[in-house]
Amino acid sequence: MSSKLQTFLRVFKLGYVNFWRNRWLTLGAALLMTLTLTMISVSLILTYVVRDSADAIRSKIDITVYFRDDTVPDTQITALQQRIETQPNVVTTHLVTKAEALTIFHRLAINEDIKKPVTTDNNPLPRSIEVHTANPDDISLVVNGLTAIDSDKIICDECVSYGQNKATIERLLSLTRFIQKAGILLSLFFGLIAIFNVLNIIRITIAARSDEIEVMRFVGASNSFIRGPFIIEGILYGVLGTFFTTLLILLTAWLVSPHISQFFSILSLDLYHYVLHLLAILIFWQLIIGVLLGALVSVISIRRYLRA
Amino acid sequence: MNDVLRIGDTTPKTAPIAPNTEAPPLIEFQHVSVEYPNRVAVKDINVKIQEGEFVSIVGQSGVGKTTLIKLLSKQEAPTKGSVFVAGRNLADLRDREVPFYRRKIGVVFQDFKLLPQKTVWENVAFALEVCGYSQAEVARRTEKVLDLVNLGRRQKNYPHELSGGERQRTAIARALVHSPNILIADEPTGNLDPINTWEIIELLYRINQRGTTVILATHNRQVVDRTQKRVILMKSGRIVSDQHGGKYVI
Repeated sequence: MSSKLQTFLRVFKLGYVNFWRNRWLTLGAALLMTLTLTMISVSLILTYVVRDSADAIRSKIDITVYFRDDTVPDTQITALQQRIETQPNVVTTHLVTKAEALTIFHRLAINEDIKKPVTTDNNPLPRSIEVHTANPDDISLVVNGLTAIDSDKIICDECVSYGQNKATIERLLSLTRFIQKAGILLSLFFGLIAIFNVLNIIRITIAARSDEIEVMRFVGASNSFIRGPFIIEGILYGVLGTFFTTLLILLTAWLVSPHISQFFSILSLDLYHYVLHLLAILIFWQLIIGVLLGALVSVISIRRYLRA
Repeated sequence: MNDVLRIGDTTPKTAPIAPNTEAPPLIEFQHVSVEYPNRVAVKDINVKIQEGEFVSIVGQSGVGKTTLIKLLSKQEAPTKGSVFVAGRNLADLRDREVPFYRRKIGVVFQDFKLLPQKTVWENVAFALEVCGYSQAEVARRTEKVLDLVNLGRRQKNYPHELSGGERQRTAIARALVHSPNILIADEPTGNLDPINTWEIIELLYRINQRGTTVILATHNRQVVDRTQKRVILMKSGRIVSDQHGGKYVI
């Protein structure tokens, strides 16, 4: 066995043994780490929720133009689509045929009894063009242009209600942004407190073993060898913290999810599945932050014991 | 510096090495002072110690014996003057060289400083493990040095199961396991009864006879009077006498 590998294994073993030998301190440190990581995860989830819901809400502001089945032939619709697309504010358009509308309808989360009578042969769903503009404010221009020329061909309830929706949507968006900011600030505040506690508890675990450090020093252990086991311990706190945090967040999301399903219907996912969907990113950041924090705090805390 | 592995040396030297006063000293204190803002620990110390010597540093508590020892193990730095070991000024040692320097000096304390959750064997082997020796080398050296201090049969015991003398012998074994050139003992018998005290002093003699320079700090008059070796007497941070075959006279 190479001596580097052997040294690493010894360091790892010492760190691991210390980790288990001081079970209660370890658990305390891991739980504080969990608190820190939970706060950070909550900020992260909030950021994603607000970003995705803002996107979702904004995409709802985009307008859909429905066509009467009786008065408009398909050729006219494609022509109209081309005309809309040439307008400068329009980003994309999408033509929804009757068949496509039927598939979408059958995918909706509504009562099956309502869906059943609607079939290919009995399809009252209108054809439509979805218009996406670069800026939601530009929609009114597009709408005005359309209604002026082709009002007889268009089912225009949506066009009328658009203005009212917009105000509601903007209020919702600003509320979401406020929740996000307040949530992130609070999380960072509690996260900071938790970080100080992690710092303190790791200092305590190190102070509890100052005798061992002293012995290691005067038998000639190099500083890096002394530091090693503590860094391993710090990393293990981060890993354990990540594990607890993930469990905690999944459990919370699972419990809370049914109660706030209305808000999350915007994202077409409930909270639990939304968090599940973010899980890889969450675990990634928890591990990075937990491991770095644990290792860094250990390095900082042990420094005073290593001065020559 | 003589790097021969003395512990592995199975043939004891026929006679104690006569300190050679012609050779450059192994340890030299040049006008060393350690002064704190409101206290002087040691003042203008000038001492030369040859390789193979057995030197007792005596004096009452707080006269600066421990400071001298801390200077030697580079736990403290002089505020004035220089400490040379094997011709090297300790002030020139870089931080990362200090651990390697410490492997060349063994230190034994009054309170043993054994790790309570480790057995005798583990306490000694630990000193080698932290320095990156191979497992085979750790086993070989630990066994030899435990034989030397006559603790082979107690190797599986924990420190709290040992007598004071056995604990100190474990500590000495740990100090010797790197085959140091210098063994420093700071009040090694301070916590021991007279019988155990003699056991430890005898052991230090034997180690000295194998060629290791031994520095013994003590305030035990009987120990010093019996050694018949070089005695450095300290008072209020200064050396007041330095004689070979000396006695503890205040």
